[in-house]
Amino acid sequence: MKTVFINGSPKKKLSVSSYLLGIVRILTRGEVVKEQVRNPKDYERILSSIENADNVVFGLPLYVDGVPSHMLAFMKEMEKFCIEKNKHLNMYVVSNGGFIEGCQNKPLMQVFENFCKRCNSRWRGGVGIGGGVMLNVMRIMFLVYAGLFLLNTITAGINASFPIFAEQLLVVLFFSLGAFIYCLRMGVAISKGTDCGVKYTRILLPSFLFILAADVFFIIISIFQGGIFRGWLRKK
Amino acid sequence: MKTIIHDLGDFYDTLFKSKCENVISADGKYAPCQGCFGCWTKHPAQCYMKDALQMACRIIGKTDELVIITDNYYGAYSPSVKNVLDRSIGASTPFSTYRGKQMHHTLRYGKKEKLVVYTYGHITADEEKTFRYMVERNAINYGFREFEFHYLENVNQLEEFEL
Repeated sequence: MKTVFINGSPKKKLSVSSYLLGIVRILTRGEVVKEQVRNPKDYERILSSIENADNVVFGLPLYVDGVPSHMLAFMKEMEKFCIEKNKHLNMYVVSNGGFIEGCQNKPLMQVFENFCKRCNSRWRGGVGIGGGVMLNVMRIMFLVYAGLFLLNTITAGINASFPIFAEQLLVVLFFSLGAFIYCLRMGVAISKGTDCGVKYTRILLPSFLFILAADVFFIIISIFQGGIFRGWLRKK
Repeated sequence: MKTIIHDLGDFYDTLFKSKCENVISADGKYAPCQGCFGCWTKHPAQCYMKDALQMACRIIGKTDELVIITDNYYGAYSPSVKNVLDRSIGASTPFSTYRGKQMHHTLRYGKKEKLVVYTYGHITADEEKTFRYMVERNAINYGFREFEFHYLENVNQLEEFEL
């Protein structure tokens, strides 16, 4: 069984989509191929790896309530390819949006369901995640905590450092728990060749706190990048 | 102020330009959004990519009525039209608020009147349902007070339309 994981994020590094696909892969058995669509030069390579595949898993960010434009262009090519080669694939989608409500991914899921019908593939389900950027922040926090743990262990010994690290780890894990569980379940469904349904989850934080955190995040980034000093919120 | 975004090529571009002051021809001769957020955090309301869409968010942000004419792609906009929308998030600010009881970005240019979307090409019943829902969600996201969604059996119909 061959599964092709297609990362639809335009980012070269540190994309939430590739992180989430990585979690789906943990419990995916069989041959696994990782691909990324960034421009039309990638099409030929990806389509040839789909040719003998059984499953395709898309991981992508939500752009203006829908699929990013460069992915839509790829999907059209993939539709033509599937019809020409008479391919019948199992298709899964993991999408993540910047807004906290996971259900804001709903139009994107419907687009993929329609896409499956057009290319004679079987829609196996998807996971729509809200607050995607924070998953990335959690990932970086984990590395920071792990570094501090190492430093603490050297200076104060493991007995003193471990309880602190364990607590930090649990907090980081808790926020991402919904995303982790549904992505792992998708991995199991792919291995069994079954449906995983369409599920929506989010960073497990009340929305008003998430909005506050997002505002602080953008203030910090805008200070560093200088936008705050260049008419940050002004009409241009 | 009214703005038209379309993917119909030169003939309709000339026609629309004779009827409307702002026409964005979605000809695909521009790069897709790279998701860098620079149009919020680095150089507000401006894209770092110097092409036809560098300032597109300023036009879309200032418009009262936005008319989109697009090919149907699985109940969504065509890639060239979606590209224009993806590159226009600078019309909002990085700050967030509640709109329609859900989280959205605050609007740099305030609320707008109406979003009208016409789609053409082969469409299934499910795709039509998806597209209507997508337009409804976009209207909330962009801060439009109302929206309309129409399917065009024949693009020629547009020649008689008062856009």
